Amino acid sequence: MLNKVLFRNQDKKQLIIAMMGAFMGITFLVTSIHYLIKVNEFGKGEEILGPNTIIVQKKVSNASTLNLTKTDFSLKEIEKIKAKSFIQDVKPVESNNFDVSFETDRTEKLVPYFRSDVFVQTVDADFLDIKVPNWKWKKGDAFVPIILPREFIVMLNTFMSAQEIPQVSDDLAMKLKFKFRLRDPNNSSKEEHVNVQIIGFTNEVSSILVPASFMQYGNEVYAGTVENKITQIMISGKESEFGLVEEMLKERGLESKNSQMVVGRLKSVVGTLIFVVLGVSIIAVFVSGLVLIQYLQLLLSRNAYEVRTLLRMGYPPKDLIRSFSMYFIKIFGIVSVIGVGIFFIFKYFLDNMFETGGLYIGTDLACVSIAALALAYILFGLASYLNAKRGIFNEY
Amino acid sequence: MNIVFNQVMPTPLASINHSAESIWGNKIELKSGERILLNASSGKGKSTFTFTSIGLRKDYSGEITYDGVDIKTFSPNDWTPIRQGKMSVIFQDLQLFLNLSVEDNLILKNMLQENVTVETLKKQLEFLGIGDKWKQDCGLLSMGQQQRVAIVRALSQPFEWLIMDEPFSHLDKENAQKCMKLIHERCEELGAGFVLTSLGDTYDYNYTRELKL
Repeated sequence: MLNKVLFRNQDKKQLIIAMMGAFMGITFLVTSIHYLIKVNEFGKGEEILGPNTIIVQKKVSNASTLNLTKTDFSLKEIEKIKAKSFIQDVKPVESNNFDVSFETDRTEKLVPYFRSDVFVQTVDADFLDIKVPNWKWKKGDAFVPIILPREFIVMLNTFMSAQEIPQVSDDLAMKLKFKFRLRDPNNSSKEEHVNVQIIGFTNEVSSILVPASFMQYGNEVYAGTVENKITQIMISGKESEFGLVEEMLKERGLESKNSQMVVGRLKSVVGTLIFVVLGVSIIAVFVSGLVLIQYLQLLLSRNAYEVRTLLRMGYPPKDLIRSFSMYFIKIFGIVSVIGVGIFFIFKYFLDNMFETGGLYIGTDLACVSIAALALAYILFGLASYLNAKRGIFNEY
Repeated sequence: MNIVFNQVMPTPLASINHSAESIWGNKIELKSGERILLNASSGKGKSTFTFTSIGLRKDYSGEITYDGVDIKTFSPNDWTPIRQGKMSVIFQDLQLFLNLSVEDNLILKNMLQENVTVETLKKQLEFLGIGDKWKQDCGLLSMGQQQRVAIVRALSQPFEWLIMDEPFSHLDKENAQKCMKLIHERCEELGAGFVLTSLGDTYDYNYTRELKL
């Protein structure tokens, strides 16, 4: 009965236009947030290096071959790169100055004995997509955790295949017993064997990665006073600003693996595009919310007589406030449900489109997009309530 | 509930000379259960009295109290129970919802307290000669018929005071007396008082005290 009095004087045309605006804004808001998250997640988990992270080194030129230019990084150079606004973090990639070889344990039955001189490096745990507790080592530990270049396992399998021995999978490789033999290059009698365990693989680094504490130990005990040069650094760029990272690399004569650059560039371009859509969606939701609130105010002013009379009859202000705010909260709710429904239809087609285009982004729902809608809903509900309250009390 | 007008002077009426026995500028007490006729010519502030006495206007000096409490201190939420159960009003402009039926207008009020039955409402309309208008939109009724609907609506709630602003201005003597009979019966039933403003016609109303403006 109360609604019959309060919502009789309406211009439904204006309400429908406001609802359509809100519907479009909500659909694009949920869609753009979902795909922004999915594109940023693209490649995550497949690679042990963190997102937007690349390893760079100085380009080797004829001059550097002749020792006329340096190929290592000074601390000052690292600090300068770190100071750039689009750089999240920079850390040196430390290398071994001692001799190290990688070999199978002689007790291992699954693979034949082999030994190879290798090159080991260490990177800060912040740049790796692994749990930090697994990336630790101290003297006396049963094994050293290592991350193996995938090329290495491919090479090993090629060797095994040639020997007509069954090849090893990633999982099996992680269970096999391997050892490092550490040796002082100036004193061949000073050597040590340590057990190692593969905890992951990487496509982006060509050396075996070890924890920083192990590298420090090896360099201190087996390298003596040899100066530790930084020839590679890890750079982590900010989301959607990968173009600036690339530009800086060009300016400074630095290079990185092309695959790392391609993924970063792709994510940056798609991310920027979706970010623009997200910006437009937020504006659309805000404007349509504003139009709905304006419509609420118009409705209140058109029904000023009804509101005033009901208050004079003894209707509690809170009942009228509830009637007005709930009416608009319901409208926004209906629009939101339709918007989410349309988003799922969009999602079905867009996921297929991305897959056809070779962009294998996750198809599960990004809950943040629904959380963003919930936030917009709460803000709208609050704005409706406050406006209804102000309008009703104005008639007192 | 006792209502006291203490040196009340509405701002728009401050420039007018008021008589010594006028409510305006004097201390007047309306005692619980009194039946008061407020007689005054046009422009003396009869509607202003109605609006100020129920807190709808605050543009006055002095003080109006309900049982000693200044009504200017009441919040909108304080007014709700007063308007639901202590003060009932028949406005001069009636304040009906013209696009709703007589039934809807009366039910809308009765929904608040459920104080009378639909049968009672229908009987009262019947008594006042508009029993057949139950389903009709109020906007299609004559002013006299609308006045009778407004009276039935005001009587449907519980009250301690009934404030009536020229409620019979569009009624003939016979219908006005019928209305008055209904009002008397309801006031008797509730032990309530009333204030009836009039332009001078008394139609043999049964009142206990007459006030001037």
